[in-house]
Amino acid sequence: MKRRRGLFRHSAETGVGLDVGALAPMVDMMTLLLVFLLRTYSTDVAPAPTAGPFALAGTDSEDARRGGIEILLSVDAVHVNGQRIAAWAHIGEEGTIEPLYQMLLQSRPKKRAEIHADASVPWRRLQRVLGTAQAAGVEQIALVGAHSGAM
Amino acid sequence: MRLFREEAMVEADIRPTLLGVVTLLFLLLFFLMSTSAGQRLAVVDLRLAAPGQAPPLPHSGLVKSVHVTLGERAATVEFEVATTDIGASSTTRELRRIEVPERDGILDGVALSAAIATVHEIDRSQEQAEVEPGPDVSTATVLQVVDIVRGVADAPRFPKVSLR
Repeated sequence: MKRRRGLFRHSAETGVGLDVGALAPMVDMMTLLLVFLLRTYSTDVAPAPTAGPFALAGTDSEDARRGGIEILLSVDAVHVNGQRIAAWAHIGEEGTIEPLYQMLLQSRPKKRAEIHADASVPWRRLQRVLGTAQAAGVEQIALVGAHSGAM
Repeated sequence: MRLFREEAMVEADIRPTLLGVVTLLFLLLFFLMSTSAGQRLAVVDLRLAAPGQAPPLPHSGLVKSVHVTLGERAATVEFEVATTDIGASSTTRELRRIEVPERDGILDGVALSAAIATVHEIDRSQEQAEVEPGPDVSTATVLQVVDIVRGVADAPRFPKVSLR
């Protein structure tokens, strides 16, 4: 008769206890989960506006963040280093974005900026932010995205 | 006297060790999940033409320039190829164009990738390309196209992408 094998078994030699055969796959699963988490998770907390929806665009880039001035472009406003500085509704259609320009001048001597733009922000707005950052003397500008690469 | 006595083998109990490993893994998992975010961030360094900056020197290879014009749903890849007639005294340039139409109402990333790969195959030494998005193109599409034009780390296409 075939003997049933379970997580807990009772035998004369070992008594009631855990079956080694059942523990090994559990260790495998935990190791896989750990590797998955280490590969996909990040300790970087993605900045987000205090209100409203915000979703970063996906990217295949593997380059890690290197710090700098944090510019966040949500659907309705521009934020710098966590501070809301202007709403798109109150920003003119052309030219540099004055509040952003002033804020970037205050952030000197930082020469690098990372832009966290909502996936739906149109290029005409992003372009104005890039132009303003360049005008304020920011030399390195990077666009931040959510890494969407496969394991 | 025999060196080794014949005794019944008693298998070592490895269950406490395994339980210790499982407990450690559990603790590591909880630590990871409590200290990390479920999203890994990556950056794409942008190359922007500064005002007053001189354009780069012409590339010496076959493909002189690559320009991607990006619409909301479609794209056009334009590239200048050096064509030299055997009887000609100088090299002439020919502008070629690959249209990437929309597919199911969105930009056809696969077709654009194929078009970029075609241009890259003509001249693997060319590293620069220019992307010109339309005013209403979303950031998601811009990043997607920059990724396609740059290629991946293992198989780069035009790593030096500049936005116009």
